[in-house]
Amino acid sequence: MMSAHQPSGPAALGDSRLLSVRGLRIVSRIQGEERVITAGSDFDLAPGETLGIVGESGSGKSMTARALIGLLPTGVRADGEVTYRGRNILALPERELRRLRGAELAIVFQDPFTMLNPLMRCGAQIVELVRDENGKPLGRHARRAEAARRLAEVGIADPAVADAYPFELSGGMRQRVGIAAAIARDPQVLIADEPSTALDVTTQREILARLRDVQRGRGMGLILITHDLRVAFALCDRVLVLYAGSVLETASAEQMEAEPQHPYTLGLLLSDPPVDRRLSHMTAIPGSVPAADQVADMCAFSPRCQWRVEACDAGAPALIEVAESRWSACVRVPVIVPEMLAVKSEALAARADREGAAADLPAADVEGAVAAARGLEKVFGDSRQSGRRVAALKGVTLEIGEDEAVGLVGESGSGKTTLGRCLVGLERPTAGTVLVNGVDTGHQGRLSGGERRRLRRTVQMVFQDPYSTLNPVRTVGATLAEAILAADEHARDVRSAVAELLERVGLPARYAERKPVALSGGERQRVAIARALAVRPRLIVCDEPVSALDVSVQAQILNLLTDVRRELKVSYLFITHDLAVVRQVAERVYVLRQGEMVEQGATSDVLDNPQHWYTRKLVDSIPSSDEAWLARAEAEQDSEELERAERRA
Amino acid sequence: MTAITAPDTGFVGLASKRGRRRPSLLIAVSTLIMLLVVASAIFGSLLAPQAANAQNLLYGVHPSSAQHLLGTDDFGRDIFSRLIVGARAAVIGPALIAIGALVIGNALGLIAGYVGGRVDYFIMRLADLVWALPGLLIAIVVVGVIGGGYYVAVVVLIVLTFPVDARIVRGATLQQRNMPYVEAAATLGLSPLRLMIRHIWPNLLPLVMANTFLNFAFSLVSLSGLSFLGLGVPLNTPDWGGMLAQNLPLLQSNALACLAPAIALVLTATSMNLIGDWTYERLSDRGRAR
Amino acid sequence: MRARLIAIFLIRRALALLVLLLMISFLVFGLLYLAPGNAIQVLLGTHPASRSVIAALTAKYHLGDSFFEQYLFWLKGAIHLDLGVSIQTGQTVTTLIGGRIGVTIFLGIYAFLISVLLGVPGGVIAAMRNRTVADRAIVGISLLGVSVPAFVSGVFLLYLLAIDAGWFPIYGPGTGFVDELWHLTLPAFALAIGVMALILKLTRAAMVTVLEQDYIAFAQSRGVSPARVIIRHGLRNALGPIVTAGGLILGVVLTGAVLVEQVFALPGIGSLLITAVGTKDVPVVQGFTLLAAAILIGANFLIDLCYLFIDPRMTTGRAAI
Repeated sequence: MMSAHQPSGPAALGDSRLLSVRGLRIVSRIQGEERVITAGSDFDLAPGETLGIVGESGSGKSMTARALIGLLPTGVRADGEVTYRGRNILALPERELRRLRGAELAIVFQDPFTMLNPLMRCGAQIVELVRDENGKPLGRHARRAEAARRLAEVGIADPAVADAYPFELSGGMRQRVGIAAAIARDPQVLIADEPSTALDVTTQREILARLRDVQRGRGMGLILITHDLRVAFALCDRVLVLYAGSVLETASAEQMEAEPQHPYTLGLLLSDPPVDRRLSHMTAIPGSVPAADQVADMCAFSPRCQWRVEACDAGAPALIEVAESRWSACVRVPVIVPEMLAVKSEALAARADREGAAADLPAADVEGAVAAARGLEKVFGDSRQSGRRVAALKGVTLEIGEDEAVGLVGESGSGKTTLGRCLVGLERPTAGTVLVNGVDTGHQGRLSGGERRRLRRTVQMVFQDPYSTLNPVRTVGATLAEAILAADEHARDVRSAVAELLERVGLPARYAERKPVALSGGERQRVAIARALAVRPRLIVCDEPVSALDVSVQAQILNLLTDVRRELKVSYLFITHDLAVVRQVAERVYVLRQGEMVEQGATSDVLDNPQHWYTRKLVDSIPSSDEAWLARAEAEQDSEELERAERRA
Repeated sequence: MTAITAPDTGFVGLASKRGRRRPSLLIAVSTLIMLLVVASAIFGSLLAPQAANAQNLLYGVHPSSAQHLLGTDDFGRDIFSRLIVGARAAVIGPALIAIGALVIGNALGLIAGYVGGRVDYFIMRLADLVWALPGLLIAIVVVGVIGGGYYVAVVVLIVLTFPVDARIVRGATLQQRNMPYVEAAATLGLSPLRLMIRHIWPNLLPLVMANTFLNFAFSLVSLSGLSFLGLGVPLNTPDWGGMLAQNLPLLQSNALACLAPAIALVLTATSMNLIGDWTYERLSDRGRAR
Repeated sequence: MRARLIAIFLIRRALALLVLLLMISFLVFGLLYLAPGNAIQVLLGTHPASRSVIAALTAKYHLGDSFFEQYLFWLKGAIHLDLGVSIQTGQTVTTLIGGRIGVTIFLGIYAFLISVLLGVPGGVIAAMRNRTVADRAIVGISLLGVSVPAFVSGVFLLYLLAIDAGWFPIYGPGTGFVDELWHLTLPAFALAIGVMALILKLTRAAMVTVLEQDYIAFAQSRGVSPARVIIRHGLRNALGPIVTAGGLILGVVLTGAVLVEQVFALPGIGSLLITAVGTKDVPVVQGFTLLAAAILIGANFLIDLCYLFIDPRMTTGRAAI
């Protein structure tokens, strides 16, 4: 169901506003303590318009979404005005709100794996509330027809999906079922809360295309909540930037991307690594995201802003109209815009001198390699339960040399994490060999205990989740001390060694006494890197080390990794799904798909000129504000739909 | 058989109004009660105003008076003293069961969760078998037919309790084991034993402690039934369950002779349950690894 | 396709349970030999030992055969519902049990109904009002219920409502349906307090977990009515853990019945067990234990059957992808 008309431009702010939010202030009260979640947001949504709300963790974007539909958790209260069709939603009694939900305002949640009732068939969930013209429940035939029709609308051609339970479907399909269920009663406004975050990059594109498709077909207003600025630019007409509970900027997507009118927006833009070049150094916003009430009486961004002056801390700045339908909450904006533009062009121009084409790379040298895998295979699952064997790796060969950063790219199910774990020794391969320092790790019986231990420590790992990467009952210092002593039992003066490690990763020495719960995500990841360095490894396997961090912090950690490598000449195996990130870190890259290596080479070659169709698809999946990006996706997905429907049957 | 469900988190934590630092009044009272019970169990005859077994057949049964706070039973024995001395018999069995299940269950659970393999299989099968079995009934049959009294019953209940504990610990161990901080420690080359004891187990502490308290309360309720049926401690030893049974006919002459041990049982079990729930909630709030 | 998977699962389960029952029967039979004294002494009980009596006993119980052969003989009898003869009374065990099981079943069902009717709604309400005063009160009551042994609640009820207030009879099962209902009310409530508390705890825990899930909020956001959200989306998904604990609940009911029957002097199989244990009437104990095991195992099988209908994920053997 594709429509031919163009998207509506920046909303004409007359009375044709669909949704109008003024002074939305969300506060939580738990056990007598009151905490601000958002300090007072203002924005509008016109009919048929797509508004993007972009924010990192703690920005209040998810709570804003919930406030709009009146589903705030207990203890959380919203004040202000949310006007829909002349009525203030926040002031409505619950019964009235219930009538609005689903029929006028709808929401799609982030995680497709938990959004649907696992014990109810998909079709039943979609048509649960659909009634005929007289308001009566539908008969069985009508229900089936309706379910099939709505599934088709979201791109699921196979009506048998209606009889399936959610656990029988893939993540992308579940998300589509969720969308179909949310719009089943033809609402005017759809709020999509991070609809593609939990999905693979290639699936993400499809879902976003579907959303746009559905929106245009029905003329709905769409509010897209996301942390990814690129996604917002790709899909939305207008974008609103939320930070620590305050709206900092509102503008059309094109204008904001070309010329941000707030230092934070600029910082966010620059924190996203470009995929077409490697920068020598990423421009990172220092510090980490504060809690909303810590910055309630000042400009929320000022503690981290390089253009900060006294006036910025005097009080929360209001949104001022800096141009036609553009608002910014920065008091210095007219003055600093030229400087900001200069920073932007400088940052993007800082190309790395070392981009490395295939010709420059040393020949692959197995014996000299720090670590290598030869024909690695790994199968998971019980031999007794035949249906459940999963081949994670189907014969993969790679090597990492001295002082070399190698990228390993793939989506979920590619086997990239399994490969990394095999190199570190956390998994044992079913077949093939792993060589560390030239020694086959499968035959360690011949080595002495000391040699074996030394072998283990040649390769270390940094994990993805910063919140479970450190033992919560131990102090940072104790964790690092344990690592230091593991490397060298007779180490003297462990305390200063710990302090040295902390400094190297950019943390003050006094952090040694803190427990992980007192550290932010970025800080915890730094400690994890310090721990990996403590044993002086030759290779560090980084498994999606920045994926779970806020965007504004990612760049910091990437810079740290680059700096550490320069100082210590340690090698990296950088595992990620994000091509832009891998470009910044690795000279060579391997691309994995479903346990097989499909392409490899110098990063610049592989990304600028992909040979394999899958690599090309990955590159294409990076969100781009180019109109064609979503349009191409729609064309491609119909053929894939058929393929997948056949597989499910 | 343990208290199968996880501790309730709704009640206790919120009874404290101000912050989470100070435990609520309810917990303070429960702890006080437990201390009294433990003191009675240890020092019993020293604390009791009169000799628990001293009979006065001529006096017989009387309701409470100045000399006998809770009255006397039909042998003329002072109820209050018997109550205090009876704490030992009432409490020692559950304590042994809770500790026994703790030690065996934790050791096996850690190994099952961390190492897996045969121990894991064995524990899971055993727990499947045992978890719904009515422990008290089995204890009755065993003690009743084979004899052996109180301590045989205790052993039977330990055997029936530890598999479920082990399964709970196994589940929690598995969860922790897959977390990066354990894997990172493994890559350092630390031994599995060290990983289990110094890394994983401290993170299981809230669960383990809460479970132990709840096991105690549950065993108290179960074992008292055994004494009530006359199958527990020898008849002369004062014991709450036994007193309840013996003094049942006295309900109309001195109700307290029967009701006092009943109240003592309920208060002790309730206090332990409260403390167990509170422990779980309180300790699990300290930023455990998710 | 799914039907076949279900059938395979059920057959495997039934076989496993049957094997379990056999193993238990073996242990139960062995009780005769685990009791102090040799088999003859146990079987004699307090009867005088004369040579003819001993010879009769040896013949009747095949005591000359090997242990395993005796077991098979006994097992064959058990399958034909012949569980031997009570040493104390001389009646067949089957008659004894048959005569008394009615009271226990009545008591058990009565108590179970009370527990479910109070426990499930209580747990649902507590979960809905999670962390409010109502929730705290309900959880407090349930905590108390779990801390009170069945015989203690029996004694309290007996004292307060039978002896003191005189509203209910003090002992005995009564005759006729209505009279029996009146007589068994106090015992049933005494038994129900503990069971209700357990059911409430389970229901509340399961509901709290379910209500926190995204699909509940999603259903609400689509405008599903609150009643339907709680029941079709909430309780329906919480049933799994509750039903799974059915075997446990039955065990608690059985245990409580034994205790309560003592307090209220009811002639059920619980008090039969106690009397038999007191007099070392081993055949009766064996009969009771075998019956109890069969009931529990049968109940577990039924629960597995129910669970198949509750959670379709079981049949594919897989939880979510």
